[in-house]
Parts: sequence; C-alpha cells; structure tokens
Amino acid sequence: MKLDFVEVCGFRGFREKVRVNFGSGFTVITGRNGVGKSTLCDAVEFALTGSIDKYAVEKAAQESLNDYLWWRGKGKPSNHYVTASFKRDDGETFAITRTRKSGADKTTAQIETALCHSMRPDDAIRQLCRTSIIRDEWIAALSLDLSETERFELVRSALGPVQGIDFSVKAKAVLKAIETAHTVRQNAYISARTQLTNALTQLSEAKEAITRAGDVSAAMQMLAAAIPDGPEELVARLAAGRAALTEGRARIGAMGEAIAQGREVLALRRAYDAPDAVQKREAARVHVEAATKSKLEAERVAADAERGLQLEERGNAIAASLAAIIEHGEKLGRHDEHCPLCAASRTNAEFAAGLALARRRMEALASGVAVARQRAIAARESLRRATAELEQAQGVYTAFESEQSRLTGREQAHIETFERHGLEFRFVRDPDGLEHHLAAERDRLINLERALLTLEVSQSISKLASLEDRIAAFRKEADAAAAQVENSEEALATAKAIDRGVRSISGEIIDERLAQISPLLNELYQRLRPHYDWRSIEYSIRGDVRRFLSLKVGDGLNPQFIFSSGQRRAAGLAFLLSVHLARAWTPWRTLLLDDPVQHIDDFRALHLIEVLAAFRLDGRQIVCAIEDPALAELLCRRLLSTSDAIGKRYEIDIGQDGATTIVSDMEIPPMPTGVLRSRSEIQSVGL
Amino acid sequence: MDIATQTEIILRGAGYETWPWTGVTPAVICFENAALIGFVHVFSSADELLARWEAAQQTVLSRHSAVLRAAGAKAWNVYSVFLAEEQAPTQQRAVERIEENFVLTRKIARAGVRTQDDVERALLPLTAIKAQPILSDTDFQDRLRARLKDVSADVLTAFLAATSAEEVAKILAEKP
Repeated sequence: MKLDFVEVCGFRGFREKVRVNFGSGFTVITGRNGVGKSTLCDAVEFALTGSIDKYAVEKAAQESLNDYLWWRGKGKPSNHYVTASFKRDDGETFAITRTRKSGADKTTAQIETALCHSMRPDDAIRQLCRTSIIRDEWIAALSLDLSETERFELVRSALGPVQGIDFSVKAKAVLKAIETAHTVRQNAYISARTQLTNALTQLSEAKEAITRAGDVSAAMQMLAAAIPDGPEELVARLAAGRAALTEGRARIGAMGEAIAQGREVLALRRAYDAPDAVQKREAARVHVEAATKSKLEAERVAADAERGLQLEERGNAIAASLAAIIEHGEKLGRHDEHCPLCAASRTNAEFAAGLALARRRMEALASGVAVARQRAIAARESLRRATAELEQAQGVYTAFESEQSRLTGREQAHIETFERHGLEFRFVRDPDGLEHHLAAERDRLINLERALLTLEVSQSISKLASLEDRIAAFRKEADAAAAQVENSEEALATAKAIDRGVRSISGEIIDERLAQISPLLNELYQRLRPHYDWRSIEYSIRGDVRRFLSLKVGDGLNPQFIFSSGQRRAAGLAFLLSVHLARAWTPWRTLLLDDPVQHIDDFRALHLIEVLAAFRLDGRQIVCAIEDPALAELLCRRLLSTSDAIGKRYEIDIGQDGATTIVSDMEIPPMPTGVLRSRSEIQSVGL
Repeated sequence: MDIATQTEIILRGAGYETWPWTGVTPAVICFENAALIGFVHVFSSADELLARWEAAQQTVLSRHSAVLRAAGAKAWNVYSVFLAEEQAPTQQRAVERIEENFVLTRKIARAGVRTQDDVERALLPLTAIKAQPILSDTDFQDRLRARLKDVSADVLTAFLAATSAEEVAKILAEKP
C-alpha cells in the first residue's frame, strides 16, 4: 500500500484546494522555509489521526494547535478539509476525508483495518504515523535523546504485539481467580479449625468439670433449701437456682453497703448522745435563755433612759425660753411698778427676787439634760452588748440543732437503704449483727453455687457424647478444607508458573525481535556512517520489570554523550529507519521525511540519500520534503523511478495571495537502461 | 580473495549488470542498473590506491566519456569504487577521505577488503537493505508447553485454547 494523493483546502497555509498526487516511486517536495512543505506531511497525519503530533507544546496563551489547524490568513477558503488517499497493491484505494465541520468520514477502526494487519499494536494509527513520518525536529528526540526505558517502549510498541500479550492478560486473570478461590478455601479451613478447637476446649472443660464434681444428692438438697418453691424440672430448677444466686449476690452487696452506712450512723449517734456533748448543748440552751433575759432587761433600761432624755430635752427647751424672758425682763425692768410680763404690782425687790427665782429654775431645767443623755448612751451600749451575746448564744445553739437534723437525715437514709433492699430492720441499729448475717448469707450462696456447679456438671456428662460426635465431624470438615487448601496452593503455584512462563516467553520473544532488528539498525548505521571511528552500533537490552534499551558504540560508549548534534541525528535516523522497516503489522510501505538533512553535512546527507535509494530498491515509496534545491535534484536523480513506480517533484511557494501554491509539478522519468554496456561494447569494438 | 569477482557477485545479487572492461590492467568492473552506473577499480595496495585512484578514474571516464555524455541525467549517478585488499590501518583514514571528494563521481574507497563481508560493507551505498527482520509469533505456544513441562497437558491446552480464564482456574483448582 502506498500514498496516492493528499488534497487540502483551507488547511494550515493552504487556502484553496491543492492536490498533490504522489509518485508511487517517490515524491520530492521542495520550497523555501515556511512555504508549507511540512504541511503536506501534517496533512497525512491529520487525515489519519485528527491531530498533528509534532508540537511539543499543546497550549500557549490560551490557544492550542486546534486554533491553527485551519486557514487563518486573508480571504475565506471555499472549504476546510483534508483528504489522504492510499492505494493498495491491487489498485484499490482507501481515502479519508477530515473536515473542519464534521470530522472524519472514516472511523478509527476502519482506518486501522485498512492500514494495519489484524495483529497490530495499541493506538495503531498513532504508532503508524510516529514510525512512518520522520520529522526533522523529532529525529534526535525520538531516538538517541530518549531515556532507555522510553526507547525500549518505542521499539517494542512499534514492532507490534506479540501473541504472548493476550496470554499474559489471561494468565493474570487465571492467577487472580485462583488467588480468590484460595482465599475462600483458606477462610473455610480457618473457620473449620476454629470450630474444632472451640469444641475441643468445651470437651476438655467438661471433662475437667466432671472430675471436680461433688455429691449430687447433697447439691439437690442445697438447691431445694435455697429455692423451696422452685420448679420440679431440673433445668428450670437450675435456672431458678442461678437466679437466686444472682439475687443473693445483689443482696450481699446491699448488706455490705448497709453495714458501712449503719456503722457510720451509729458512730454519729454515739458521738451526739455522749454526756459532754449533751452538757454542751444544755449549756448553750441555758446561755441562750440568760442572754434573752439580759437583752430584755437592757431593752427596758434603754427605753427608760430614752424617755428621761426626752423629758430633759423638753425642759431644756423651756429653760431657753425662760432665759429670753429673764433677759427681756432685766432689760425692761418694771413697767409702772408692775411686772411687764404678768402686769402684777411688784416692788423692785420683788421683781428682782422674781428674776432670781426664774434664773434658778432656768438653771435647774438646763442642767438635767446632760445627765439624761449620758444615761441614754450607756443604756444603748448595754442593749447592743446584750443583743450580740444573744446572737452568739443562738448561733452556738443553732449549730447543735443542725447537727441533730443531719444525724436524723442520715438515720432516715439508713432506714431507706434497708427498705430498698428488703433487709431486716432488726439490723438497722446493729451493723455488727448485720455483718454476721452477711457472712452466713455468703456461706449459703457459696454452697448454692457449688451445688449448682455440681448439678450442671452432672448435666454436661450427658452432653459429652454429642460433643465428641461434633468434634469428629469438625475434624473431618477441617481435614477436607485442608486438602482443598493444599489443592489450591498447588493450583496457585501452577498459575504462578504459567504467569511467569508467559511473561518470561513474551519478554524473550520481544528481546529476540529486538535482537533481530539489531542487524538492521547496524546496517543502517553503517550506511549512514555518523562517525568515522565507530563503525557499528549495538543494541543492549536489560532489566526485568522495567526494560531498558541502550545503544552503544565502540567499547561500550553511549553515543548520546559523545556524538555531535549532526552525528546524533544521523545515528537517530538509523534508529528510526530501522524501527520503520521492522514493522510487520502494516502493509503501508511509505516513508515520509520532513526536512531530514538539516544540521547534517553534505557527506552524510549523501549517505541518507543512498539509504533512501536502497529503500526504493526494495519497492518502498519515499516522500521527502527538502529545502535545498541541489539535494532535491540529487534525490530525484538517485531514487529509482520506473514506469511502474514513477518519481515526482513538486516545488511549492507562497503565492501573491499569501497562500501556499504549487509552482511546479513534474514527473521524473526513468533513467535509460543498459546505456553503459551496449555503448561501451560498441566503443570497445571501435577500439 | 578475488575482490573483483566478489564485487561482481554482490552487485549482480543486488540487481546490477556487471562486466569487466579490460581496457586497463587489472580489468575494471563496470556495473549498471536502472539508476546507476559505476566502475570498480582494484588496487594491489593502499599506497597504490592513494597514488593512482584519480588517474584510474580519469582513464575510465575518458574511455567512456561518449557513453556517459549520451546517458543524460544518469551520467550524474556515476560511482567510482576503489578497493584494495591490503590492511593499512595508518592509511585507512586517508583512503576513506577520498569519498569526500565529489568531483566527477561519487566515490567509494576502502582498503583492507579481505572478506566477502568487507566487500558487502563497502558496496552498501549501492545495494538494497540487506537485513530483513522476520518477526513471528508462531512458536509461542510450543515454547510455553516446553517451558511448563510440569503443568498438566489438559490445563495447558485449556489455557492456550479459547477457554475463559475462570474456566481454566476451575480446571486448575480441581487438578493442579
């Protein structure tokens, strides 16, 4: 299968429809930088995959490659599409048209079916493009500059799948299924073993209990005494006995609590009723009574003093008035020999005696108030002291009353404890008696428990046989489960061996395939001769899980680090061309090269052209975009053009309208054959 | 080893017509295919090669000048092959530097051509790609059977057949 034609319209730099019919032998496309030579390679890739893989940066400044796939220059194209057509050896064509509006007219599956054999790698069309279109910018990046693991993957995937990959998936699925089954069987075995050991433990316990069992009849009497109205049936009676035991234990707990509480209350009561305590309370009471009386007396005295003070204060007010009268009387004197106040006829002596008498009375009235005030102050102080003493005595007495109240509360709570737990009230004030009673009750409960154990053991004797039967069944079950586990362990080992074998053989086949293309790489390397001293290159594959493919020249040297840029590209071309030729999964026999001779000197460019000529001798189609017209000329001369597989040369340029146009389109005619021999023979004859 | 004869064998195997031109001694091997014309000159030593290659080329081209003029574009595809059997490590680089001279013809110049492989290597620019990797999976199943001798044949047959992985696991669990 070869590339037949590419037709583009409104794609990249092509505004109007342009069709390039490829020569089935070769096609050389020339033109200056940027005129659109690469776009024709891009068009093939775009038609096949819907994308162009050569751009390392997918997005920049919010724009992506998709924004630049279609014409963006001046003017509007009549359409936007790319068509790539392929022609099979039988002449049948297969074309893919991809439009801007509706995408491709063929599905990926249809494209894969047309261009690949049934055994093809994953993402086959992308692999096809990567190994069919060799671009200048990727020559080193996809070969020498790859990491060793990436290089291994590139070659492995380019070589196509090996049958073992399907089996590898299947082996893993088998292994997983076996592992799941094995886990289930292991769990079943563990479960059976657990049941068995549990049953064995029960059996052992039962046997040990039997050896410890006492007198059954005594135990029955004990049980009957403990639950006199209990049921007749033994199991029910045992249950009732267990219930009585539980109840008795609860009561013993309550008794312990009551004993502690009773002892505390009793101690408090004894302390409260002690003679010195009684004496202190009586003294406090008497003190309160005496203080009350003293206070009443002080209140009375204080009231009398206050009344006396009031009287004296009123007399003092009269004395003040008398003083004013005396003062006026002295100033006025008699009025017509009469008293100016009462108009009675007075002599001077009588008037003076009257004034003296009034003065004496006034002095008598004024002198009583100070005494009365002193008395009142003293009475108030006595009352304050009496009140304070009463309050202090009452405080002491109230404390005694509170103590009694607390004690009464504790005693009441103690009684409530007895009520709550149904304890005998005779022990309310007798904790020691209650303790004796508790000891007796505990002994009774121990005897009851022993009796119950004895009776339960007697019950379990009858169960021994059935327990032993169950153990035999569990053992059988565990043995069967163990056999199953052993079986699945063997199956697991076999599944692992299969998985290992499949992986190992797949790996070996991949290694062998890589080894098989090693001579091809070496031959291409020798043809391209990147380096004078190192004439051959070796593959080296290593690694088990991660695989590495290293390239070595000379004495184990890595060409990546010792070759110049041009030499790396030449070695890289050898690598990529070997990968291209090694693909067995595609019938497409076209090699597209996009400016492969940049940075390569003329001598090595000539080697490359000779390698391409060798490809042509093998019937392969070459499409080469190249800038240098001289090299284009050399390519057209050197690549084989025959009438069945003609060569073509296109020259493209940017037209007046800014779009790419085809400037010239010419067929390269086949060279004349047999010219040297026939003519030289003639010439020789002529000699 | 007769370099001239080996050259003819290899070139004929690559689809060229070859014949000797006895106009000089030793004879020059002429070859031609649909795209190329060429002449093989064999020298007795590297020194002779270095001394005489240009004259030898000139002689042959002069004698065939009329033919070459008539050959049109094909006359641009003329190869001159200069070979010598002598191992001459010190002169090897000088011999091969002749190839970088593009005047008149494309040149292939090698000393130390002692085996058929050496001839093949020297003539690589004229021949089709020799190495043809044959990638096949056909022996995968046989190899797996040989590798897993201890696994029962029934299990392996089921594994390699279309039997599902679950079914294979079941067979394995029953009789590993």
